[in-house]
Amino acid sequence: MTPIDLQDRAQYLSLALFAQEIVSVLMQYVDEDKSDNLRTTLNEALISLRDAGSASVSGRRRAAAFASYEQLRTLDEVWKQRERDKARRMIQVILRKPRDPKAKPAANSLIDLFSKLQDQALWNFEQPRPVSPGDMQRLCRLA
Amino acid sequence: MQTRLAAFLHDAAVLHTFADFIEEYCKEQARSQRYVDASGDFFRYSESVAHQIKLKIGNDVDRAQSFPPAIALSRIDTLRRNALTFKGYLRLLHTLIKPAADAHTLSIPAPLVKLACEHLKQIEGMDGSKVVVLLTPQLMYFQRPHSHVKQQAAIVGRLIPQAEKFPARLGFIELPYSQGPGFFTNLAIYHEMGHFVYEELSSSPSPSAGIRALQRATHKSVTEFVKLERKPQVRKLAEKILDSWTQEIFCDLLALYLVGPAFSFALVEIFALLGSLSRGKRTTFSQEHPAPACRFAEHLRFLRDASTWWTAIAHIEPQQKKLLAEFATIPRERYRVDGDDAPKALIDPFLDSIIPRIRELVREIAPDPKLAAARFDKTLVTIEDCLSVGVVPHSSTGSPPEPVSIINSAFCFYLTSLPDMVGRFEEGPGASANAEKRSKWTRKLEDWTMKAIEDSQVRTQFERMERDGPQQGRNS
Repeated sequence: MTPIDLQDRAQYLSLALFAQEIVSVLMQYVDEDKSDNLRTTLNEALISLRDAGSASVSGRRRAAAFASYEQLRTLDEVWKQRERDKARRMIQVILRKPRDPKAKPAANSLIDLFSKLQDQALWNFEQPRPVSPGDMQRLCRLA
Repeated sequence: MQTRLAAFLHDAAVLHTFADFIEEYCKEQARSQRYVDASGDFFRYSESVAHQIKLKIGNDVDRAQSFPPAIALSRIDTLRRNALTFKGYLRLLHTLIKPAADAHTLSIPAPLVKLACEHLKQIEGMDGSKVVVLLTPQLMYFQRPHSHVKQQAAIVGRLIPQAEKFPARLGFIELPYSQGPGFFTNLAIYHEMGHFVYEELSSSPSPSAGIRALQRATHKSVTEFVKLERKPQVRKLAEKILDSWTQEIFCDLLALYLVGPAFSFALVEIFALLGSLSRGKRTTFSQEHPAPACRFAEHLRFLRDASTWWTAIAHIEPQQKKLLAEFATIPRERYRVDGDDAPKALIDPFLDSIIPRIRELVREIAPDPKLAAARFDKTLVTIEDCLSVGVVPHSSTGSPPEPVSIINSAFCFYLTSLPDMVGRFEEGPGASANAEKRSKWTRKLEDWTMKAIEDSQVRTQFERMERDGPQQGRNS
């Protein structure tokens, strides 16, 4: 048996830390022109975002984030599809040409987006909610 | 900007105080108490992280005062958010540190925990693993999901590289504090340890054939079930429910392979304590658990068909054994869920496609249960003879009995012979029907059982030293 609220809280904190790591490497890149871990961290973010939107269930075990119900729900609360697409585009801009003049403004946009995600994850960590009855009803109706 | 800076400085000071307390508290515990297995490693890790977070927050306060004005506001907000996230991480450690500090060797069944840790290391793929025992105020056994802590610790390690690394293969198991000194119900820790094993094996970068087969079966079941559903989180919910059910059956079977029918008897006791054996609950699946009837059907299947334990305990007929058999014969058509608590249609794929893969996986990683049942059969009479006259089980001619034999013999004796024993030791008519006296002699029985296990462990350690020499013996 596992204590459910702690498990769910831990999922939110993992997401907040994931967002914090992305924001930290982006800040180093923008403010100090350092790109240590930039590629690895952004690649992980890109894979996680791609898997979060895919219909496949199995691939998400590899992803660094959005691999659980709680994390997907947080993502859903804070980013619309438009913002997910924007985040993916911005990451690709930086990964393709980190020295391009467009890359740093893209990094600043990403800092804003992931900061919002970190805020929401922290909020959910403080105020965890049970599984949405709507989601469960939808699942029960699938049979 | 001054207001934002002041708010950040306030948060930084609060975090510093919190981290300072954790650092000092962990230092003190490691000095003042004795613990089983890995609690010391966990205290050292927490102490180091708390110390490094204090240094990090000090640096961030300096940075906050030197950002160029154009970006200062947003950057100070980021540092503040990061401080809150670190505080969240320390809060999670905080929820583990106090229960770990309470679980020193005088408040837990140390020989049983030590035995479980030794068994854990014998499971394929689990060598080098360690356990931190926690005492919980809730009347329930838990395994703290350690994979999240590990994942978080990995990110914290990258954000603060100077902090000590989180100990590899570390699991957390909680016992209710009221049951701490007891023995029989604490056999439930074998189930909780199973959660740790499952998390470790299923998150391995190179999973075994059994894990891969189980993952394929789960994937197929979920995919077929949610094929018309486009919302990712609803699909994830189906996977989460199946994963919870899978873990429960996996943990039960692993515990049965390791300690035999004594685990089933302990689980019946715990379910009775929690009121989970009522007519309504016995066939009900919840989001987190398969129905008790489904679980006991697997117990019986293992005891009767996959091992020789059922034959080995054929001589006793306690209520617990009858209940196991009764639950196991409930037809699966009667399995149910409560309203929209969980999707009923997931039960069939779980029973048909997933449970067979769980059985294969446990068989792949656990020791052969037939050996333990045979050893039990040989020493049962000796152990029961000792207990019946109030003596710690031992062998007068050779090595002490093996721990799993001691556990099962003592549990069988407890279930069938306790009233006779009370009648033999207590004066007055009706002594065996007196609850206080029964409780007193149950505790004594548990103490003798634990002492017998400890004697067996000391003997094993001695034999290892004789065989391998002092250096190897000390390391093991």
